[in-house]
Formats: sequence, C-alpha cells, structure tokens
Amino acid sequence: MSFIPGQPVTAVVQRIEIRKLRQGEHLILGFSIGGGIDQDPGQNPFSEDKSDKGIYVTRVTPEGPAEVAGLMMGDKVMQVNGWDMTMVTHDQARKRLTKKNEDVVRLLVASLLCNASPFVQTEFAI
Amino acid sequence: MPMDRYADMEDKLRILEDLNMMYIRQIALSLQDSDIQKKIDHEIRMRDGACKLLAACSQRDQALEAAKSLLTCNTRIMAYMSELQRMKEAQVMQRVARRSDGTRSSDAGPMDDRLPCKGKVAISDLRIPLMWKDTEYFKNKGELHRCAVFCLLQVGGEIHDTDMVMVDRTLTDICFDNTIVFSEASPGFELRVELYSCCSEEDYSAGSAPRKLASKLSSSLGRSAGKKLRVAMDPGACSPTSNAGAATLLLPGPAVAGPKYHLLAHTSLSLSHVQDSFRTHDLSISGNEECSYWVPLYGSVCCRLAAQPHCMTQQMMSGCLKVKQLGGDPPSWTNVYGVLKGTNLFCYHRQEDMEANVEPAFTIAINKETRIRASEKDPHSKAQSICISNQYGGEEVTHTLSADSREETHRWMEAFWQQFCDMSQWKQCCDDLMKIELPSPRKPALVTSKQGSLYHEIVIDTSDDISTVTDILTRRMQELELRSQLGTSPPWMSLFEESPGGPRTPRLARHSPRSPHRLPHSPLSSLRCPWPGLLSSDASLTSDSDSPCSTSPCSRHRGWAEPLSLSSPRFRPRTLSLDAKLSTLRGRGYGGVLQCSCQPPSSSSLAPIPAQCVPQATLSCSSSTSSNSSSEGSHSPSSLDGTPFSRPSSARRSLRNLRAKLDPRNWLQSQV
Repeated sequence: MSFIPGQPVTAVVQRIEIRKLRQGEHLILGFSIGGGIDQDPGQNPFSEDKSDKGIYVTRVTPEGPAEVAGLMMGDKVMQVNGWDMTMVTHDQARKRLTKKNEDVVRLLVASLLCNASPFVQTEFAI
Repeated sequence: MPMDRYADMEDKLRILEDLNMMYIRQIALSLQDSDIQKKIDHEIRMRDGACKLLAACSQRDQALEAAKSLLTCNTRIMAYMSELQRMKEAQVMQRVARRSDGTRSSDAGPMDDRLPCKGKVAISDLRIPLMWKDTEYFKNKGELHRCAVFCLLQVGGEIHDTDMVMVDRTLTDICFDNTIVFSEASPGFELRVELYSCCSEEDYSAGSAPRKLASKLSSSLGRSAGKKLRVAMDPGACSPTSNAGAATLLLPGPAVAGPKYHLLAHTSLSLSHVQDSFRTHDLSISGNEECSYWVPLYGSVCCRLAAQPHCMTQQMMSGCLKVKQLGGDPPSWTNVYGVLKGTNLFCYHRQEDMEANVEPAFTIAINKETRIRASEKDPHSKAQSICISNQYGGEEVTHTLSADSREETHRWMEAFWQQFCDMSQWKQCCDDLMKIELPSPRKPALVTSKQGSLYHEIVIDTSDDISTVTDILTRRMQELELRSQLGTSPPWMSLFEESPGGPRTPRLARHSPRSPHRLPHSPLSSLRCPWPGLLSSDASLTSDSDSPCSTSPCSRHRGWAEPLSLSSPRFRPRTLSLDAKLSTLRGRGYGGVLQCSCQPPSSSSLAPIPAQCVPQATLSCSSSTSSNSSSEGSHSPSSLDGTPFSRPSSARRSLRNLRAKLDPRNWLQSQV
C-alpha cells in the first residue's frame, strides 16, 4: 500500500471473518501483525498517523485464510471477536487472535484506499 | 449490658423469621404448590451451611466463596418468596373476580390471546473492561489492591452466579468464562446482570464486634431454636400482619462475620439485546472511588446473549398430511408425514424416515413471510385444505395440504397460528437457530500466585544457556537432597560423630565447598548416582550409617551443620525463580534432569518440548527482531536467532517477547 502524499484517501471499515486453518496442532490465520501500545509507533510503515499505536497487518500469507477472507496488508485491526484492539499491547493482540478454542475470528478492520487505485470501494459496513 | 440488648434483638429477629416461615408455609399449602416450598427449604439449608462454613473457615479464599454462596442463597430465597406472594395475590384476585361475577369463570374458554412458547436463553463470555489509571499499571511497589468479584444473573425466579474472579491492577478486563443457560424464559424476559465485589484485604471481623458476639450471631441462623419455638406456638394463630414486610424481614441474616459483597454495577438485558454475536451493553455503576469494594469499571459489559425459543428446537406439530401435486388435472395427492419444526415444515415419505434421520422428501418454509390460509371446502373431500404460500425468489409458490379429518386440519391450523405467534414474539431469534454451547466439564482453574513483580514470571529455560543453568540445577538438586536428608535422620551425620577424628574431618574440611553436597548421594541407593567414583570412595563411610546420632557431641554437630547452612544461603538468592521452574520441571516428570546431569543436557531438555512444526513463528519473530537490532544497533540476545527448535514453548516465547519488549526501539511483528 503506497500513499502518494497529497492524494485523497478513503477509509473503509469492514468486517472480515477469517476461518482458521488447521496445520498440524495449530490453528493459523495466515497473516502477521505489528504494533501495540508497548511498541514504537514511529516504525509502523502502514500507519498514516505516526503516533497511532494500533495493530496493523504487516504481511498476509498468499493463499492463506486471511487473504481468502479479504484481509490486506496495511489494514488496521480495530476489533477481534468483540475485543478491542486499539489499546492493547502487542502480546495481548497476538493472544486475542490465537485463542485455541476459537476457529473463527471476526475482525473489524479499517483499510485506507488510495483514490488513485482503479478499484475504488465505496464505504460500507456489514 | 449491650450483650443483653443484642441477645434480645437476636431473639426477636429469630421469632419474626420463624413467623415468616410459617406464613410462607401457609401460603404454599394454600396454593398447593409444594415445589416452591421445597426450593425455599433447600436454599435455607444451603444458607445455613454457608454461614457455618463462613464462621469456621480461616482461609480468605474459602471465606470469599462461602460469602458468595450466602449472597446467592439469599437472593434466591427472596426471589422465591416474592414469587410465592405473587401467586398468592393472583389467586386471591381470581377468587375475588369469581365471586363478583357470580358465575364460575371457566378456564377452558376459547383463548383469544395466545401465549408464545418459552425458550432457552444463554449468556456467555461475559467481559467487563476495566479502566485503571495509567499510574496504576506501572506501580511496582506496594501491595496489589485486590477485589473478589462475581456476577449474579437473574431471569424471573431463576438465579445463577458465575465463578469468582480475583481482580487486581494487572487485569485489564474481568472475564467470566461461564455459560449460563436459563431454560424456561418467555420472550418478554428480563435478564438482570449484577456485579458484586468485595475487597479481599481487610480484616473480616465485623468492626468492633467482639468475637463471641460474632459467633453467636452467625450461629443464630441455625434454626434449631426456631424449630422449638415453632412447635410450641400454635400454627393456626399466626397472622399475616407481617405480610407487608415479609420480604424484608427475612433479611440476609444478621451480620455474619466475614467478607461482605456489595453491588458494584448492574444492567438489564432483554429480547432486543439478543444476537448471535458479541455485543456491548452499558452498565449502571453504583459506588464510587471511596468505597473499599471499588473497581474502576469502564462502564460497559460485553457478552453474547443467545436465545433458542422452543419453537425452533422442538417439534411443534407432526402428523400425516396429503400434499397436492402442483399442476396436473385431476389433482393428485401425495401422502407425507409432516413435521413442523423451526422455520420449516419437513415432509417425509413415511414416519419411519423421520425417526431414521433420512432427508425429508421436501421442505416447505414457514417463516415471517409465509402466508397460510384455509381454503374453501374442496368439492371432492369434506375437509378444508390449507394453502401455504411462500415467495421463492420473485415467484410465489403455493403448496396445498390437506389433513385426514376436520379435527386434524384444525389442529394444523392451530399449530401454524401458534408458530406465527411465537415468531412474532421472539422476533430475531426465529430467523436462524442460535447456537448455545453447553458448558463443558470444567477444568480445574490454574491458580497462579501473582507476586506482583514481573521477575517472577520469567522462566529460565534450559535452552537459553544450557551448561550454566544445568550446573545450577544440579547443584540445587544436591542441596535439596541434602536438606531433605536433614529433615529425616541424616545417617551420614553420625559418621562424623563416630569418626575416629583426625583423618576424616580434615579431609572433609578441605573439600568443604563441594563435599557436603556429594555425600548424601552415597547412602541413597534409590537415586542413580551421577558420580560412580564417589560411590566407591565413600562406601567405607556408609557402613557406619546406622549408628544413632543422639549421643553426638554438640560441637561436631554444629561444626558440621555450619557449612551446610552457610552453603544454602549462598544458593538461595538464585533459586527464587529457579524454584518455580524446578517445581514445574518436577511436576512434568522431568526426572531426566535429576538423573543425567553428566550426560549432555540437551537431550533431556529436548524431551518435553513437543515437536511442532510451525517454523515461521520463530523465524519471523527472531528475524524481525534481529533485523531491527542490526539496523538499530540494539542488544537483542543472539540466542534468539536460528534456534534449532521448532515452535517454541509459550514460556520461551514469553521470555523472548519480554526481551524484545524491553528494547523500546523494536517494532515487533508476530505471525498469527
């Protein structure tokens, strides 16, 4: 996700439901997260506001459950199954995504779309 | 003098309570409802038990649990009593109405208003976020201000309580894992959620009340004396003068010495809050910061409230039907066995198919958009037929059904009307069946004693620095063995009293740093000795081991004991967290460490690590931290890189996370 300074951006909030994939003994989601209130927000390459300590998606495994569900790199995760993710430490965030007794996670994510992209999505909330 | 007044008050209270009980029993008898009576009796017995337990227990946790049961029992008793009173009032009103009417109002009249079916309501995953001041998070000194909290959930007369949770500033949310199911709830239910809390630090004795009085008061709840009074008094003579205050007189017992729970917050949930996902609701908070039982609540509660009306889970109607085939003239009819359940009318070829769980021949939807009407009499048959119309896509599809007789048709129509009534009352619960998970058998809760310092959470893993930690471990094991030996009869101690003196003691004194630890191994035949050489050399010492040590000269005792006591404190500072690790190691049956300290330790340390293969986790985590460290020049420990193990255990991961977290210049990424 590259931001062209000066170009308008649209923020889209959507609910994404990811079904965990079982790999051996583990349930994986297929993406990586970064951020947290205990992390240095200045190093977040995806955030627009460099003091934002939220949880961002830093990588999405190709063909993984997250990609299939529509999660994109650079999305900010706001909620996971009703748990707030805007004011959590990194480890708390990881724990909330990797609960062993849940095989579906419903995320509320905010994505920024550059209007220069040909695929402009209008705002919608499920 | 004050004791006399207390005694008088006690007696009066007891008498009033017994009067109440008699009144309650009268009401119950007159209503011919022994069910509530039994429930009340049961709760009173539970309450007595809880009071006795409270008076007898010494441990704080037990006292808190007993106080919680006491509160629950009291609430239940109040609920049953108010229900009883309501029933009594209803009966009285009915009687009055009947008398004024003059005619006996029959209850078999045609009911114009239907009652919707009842359903199961389940609340689960209760979570109450907390809002500690940020200064609280970073306070490392001082005691942890802890509160015990639990929730009381009430629907009508059914009251359930959750487990108790200890809350302190290390928690960000209060989570109750219980799933509470209320089995018979009407669509107009009101689920009252109350959060009670109690400070778990103060002294429990009720202020200045003397111990004797406290025990006297708590024992007065036992009703043996009351029963005597009851027998003595004439049961018919009691008057309902205490009616008005009946509910309040049966107080939650007189002051019982012990922890008291206070209402901290409450909210009411109803059908509009039911949804198949998590929702947040507002809490009304009572209490403020000055109270001892205060816990800073964020002001909302998050939970999953699901409802399963019976019309969705049970068969509401079943029977044989004839379905007209669409199209074709003359119309032909197919015999089916129809089952009305949920939002569908399942039609099976035969009844046996339904019992065998075979797929139905076809299914007709019965939902909010369906229209059902009874059509005019078919000229061919006597019975009316029922037309069910649905919109499938843009088309309207009508099925025509006919029952065998007029009564059957009437019954089916009744069933359909009832279904519509239920669906209109239960609203969103009838769109789809909501899942209610029954609470699984509870695992014993892991009790972790938080000692307030992060240091105690650090687990020293053998993988990090194998050789030195193993050394510590082995030396610690020796010392533990030594200490256990000291407790029992130390056979080797006698050696030194009995020894001829000169040659042995100087030898031991020379090796004093190590020999105190080596010796205990020789008399122990059960432990596999790691130093075979030692066994042979000390074999001569063992022969004298059975002589008693009672006659030993004190000087030698002390002289011998000293190096031991000196050595133990030398090791103690290192073993606080090591203790924790050792106990977990022992618990896991990690005997390998004990036995093969001479062998390469890596084999033993690898044994309990489950072989899991998600290599991405370690690699991405370590690579990100190492890459950050290399770019930023920070001091991430090199042991994180290229660990040969696959997915690390949670302890190791937490240690790694801790280390990475401690470096503020890292921007951690985790694979999920």
